[in-house]
Amino acid sequence: MHVPDGFLSLQTAVGAAAISAVVVGECVRRLHRTLEPRQVPLMGLAATFVFAAQMLNFPVAGGTSGHLLGATLAAVLLGPAAAVLVMIAVLVVQCLVFADGGLLALGANALNMAVIGSLAGGGIYRLVRRLGVGLRGTVTAAAFAAWCSVLLAATACAVELALSDTAPARLVLPAMIGVHAVIGLGEAVITALVLVSIAAIRPELVGGGEPTTHRRTSLVPGGLLLALALAALGAPFASSLPDGLEWVATRFGFEHRAVATAGAPLPDYAVPGIGSPLLATALAGVAGTLLMLGVSYLLGRLLVPSGRRQRSET
Amino acid sequence: MAAVNAIEVRDLAFAYADGTPALRGVSFAVAEGECVGIIGPNGAGKSTLLLHLNGVLPETPDGSGAVRVFGAPITKANLYEIRRTVGLLFQDPDDQLLCPTVGEDVAFGPRQLGLGGPELGARVTAALARVGLAGFEARSPHHLSRGEKRRVCLAGLLACESRVLVLDEPTSELDPRGRRGIEALLASIPATMLVATHDLEIVVELCSRVVVLDHGQIVAAGETVALLSDEALMLAHGLERPHVLRHRHPHE
Amino acid sequence: MRHDFLDRYSRLASPVHALPAWLKALATLTLVMAMAVARPSWWPALVVATALLVAGAWLSRIPAGFLLRRLLLLEPVVVVVATLALWQPDGGMRFALLVARSTLSLAALILFTNTTPFGEVLELLRRCRVPSLLVTVLALMYRYVFVLVDEAARLQRARASRAFSRSAARSWRSVASGAGQLFVRSSERAERVFTAMCARGWRP
Repeated sequence: MHVPDGFLSLQTAVGAAAISAVVVGECVRRLHRTLEPRQVPLMGLAATFVFAAQMLNFPVAGGTSGHLLGATLAAVLLGPAAAVLVMIAVLVVQCLVFADGGLLALGANALNMAVIGSLAGGGIYRLVRRLGVGLRGTVTAAAFAAWCSVLLAATACAVELALSDTAPARLVLPAMIGVHAVIGLGEAVITALVLVSIAAIRPELVGGGEPTTHRRTSLVPGGLLLALALAALGAPFASSLPDGLEWVATRFGFEHRAVATAGAPLPDYAVPGIGSPLLATALAGVAGTLLMLGVSYLLGRLLVPSGRRQRSET
Repeated sequence: MAAVNAIEVRDLAFAYADGTPALRGVSFAVAEGECVGIIGPNGAGKSTLLLHLNGVLPETPDGSGAVRVFGAPITKANLYEIRRTVGLLFQDPDDQLLCPTVGEDVAFGPRQLGLGGPELGARVTAALARVGLAGFEARSPHHLSRGEKRRVCLAGLLACESRVLVLDEPTSELDPRGRRGIEALLASIPATMLVATHDLEIVVELCSRVVVLDHGQIVAAGETVALLSDEALMLAHGLERPHVLRHRHPHE
Repeated sequence: MRHDFLDRYSRLASPVHALPAWLKALATLTLVMAMAVARPSWWPALVVATALLVAGAWLSRIPAGFLLRRLLLLEPVVVVVATLALWQPDGGMRFALLVARSTLSLAALILFTNTTPFGEVLELLRRCRVPSLLVTVLALMYRYVFVLVDEAARLQRARASRAFSRSAARSWRSVASGAGQLFVRSSERAERVFTAMCARGWRP
């Protein structure tokens, strides 16, 4: 998702950089109030960790591999504001040391992966965290939030490319969303697995300091709201090319090619048999989101045996 | 009236947050210019003791006077003065070297003391020359050997002009050449020194007195050669009589 | 990953290396911004940019093969993203323009990163009034990237020497537990670094 230079118009790049700068300023202000001194080196080391974790490849299918984005993982472990800074640091080093991701595009990449990735990931995590108690709740919420954060970051990236007139919106939006709905699954599973393995060694590092609320009832409206918000986001993609997904599957995400050809659960983001494409897309968005919520819940149940849920609360 | 001790520890006790006792009633003193060795098995409390000597532990200085540096108890007010007086060398140089370049890292301590400009530059140059790494300012720590990293750490302490050096395992994980280099370097530094180590050979070379720590308590203290020649004492506390002493008479 | 290629050439003695970091950063940013607004009719500008970059690379005394390898490593991303333009009217032209703009920008960035040590970049960021918390995080990150990458490589080797299964599910799990271990190690290192910082008189 690292956009190189040359693909974003000057206005888009500068605009995205301005938004990122404002958010980073706000995060720094917030952290100056709340950050304990001992968390400063932790942020530096966490940035190093995300950088290294992005290099660990996980096999997807057919001999291809994907890698982690890590924004939600960072947000769960450090809180959203610190995660924004950590992700920005990762992007700056990738850009200014490895030339990975453009210099002018740095602001846009920061907006997508650091700001949107961490804040959306962290926000959704906090909202959905009430799904279960203890580690199981953490894992479920983190998996779902990880999927959403990848999807939202990809959406932002597509919007920027479209605004820059590099690719038509009707092509790039459904393509990016379709591909990343599947890539996000990998992000969700790995995020969940990493959290479980951290909790196995040092349980206090996972969700440390976060109050555990037991009000399960608040989940239903929260989840629904979320699903609706995502569906509303999905609506504009109704006018997608009929074969847009397949095309991008074979050409766009060269690293994740094989995943995408396996197909998203709802191809073209439209439900067959429903007349209005706008409504169809909205319904598809709701269905996809609810499905992912279910997958995350299963992931939580599968990875965290019920005996361990109380222990992790200490 | 005798001069004030550089370090005086009286009845020091400490337990970690989970309740594990680490130190129990530790008392000893180090005179200015002296070099004292602290030995003992793994987990005896050596590192915990060292962290107390410049006020890193306990996390808020209690001013109780259990640890006194040149007669002064460690309080919140003199904490930075204490840290300037007592330089701590950590076991893993990768923990201590936290700046992107050697020069910046050596300057880290003095900069915290408010130093800057040409005076800071001069101190860095002098400290690096002192440890035999003149001209290493622009190098990155990760390109150095372990022995070189240790010497950069030492340069960082020398640049602070610390009067007391507290060293945690200064020769661990070094090859013989690196070890000899550190040994010669330490022997050339006139500061008061406290060396916690498993390397008993270096204790024999550098230290006039030794303190044996086990289970958070001092079990023996005394003149180096006499103490380290006590086979029974050494074996009882997970140590052994160093080879250099095998052929030396205790009263030589 | 081998990390010794990272600043292998960033400390050479050459006219380009000797330039102040802010000047190189400004030149790179100017070139990249010019590329962002370049139109097909501006082809002389592209030629001039290419000439400037080739001259810069030659003056920097960095082996051309090394710079080209870095460029080729990142070029696939450029080409793949550029294929998006083929689905627009006048696609071939747009594609060629995107590839040219992006490749020149990338070359400029590669030249900048390989002639400017990261320490100087940090100093520049500090002077540009980037929040000091972010600069500190960057400095720590740059310092410990090498330590952690070595640690990750050791973990991976240790795992490979004991792994007999090639099942995908199991390797996902082992990658994740490797990452988990890595985070635990990082947070423990962060504790020790914090202790060392305090001992060295750091005032938050």
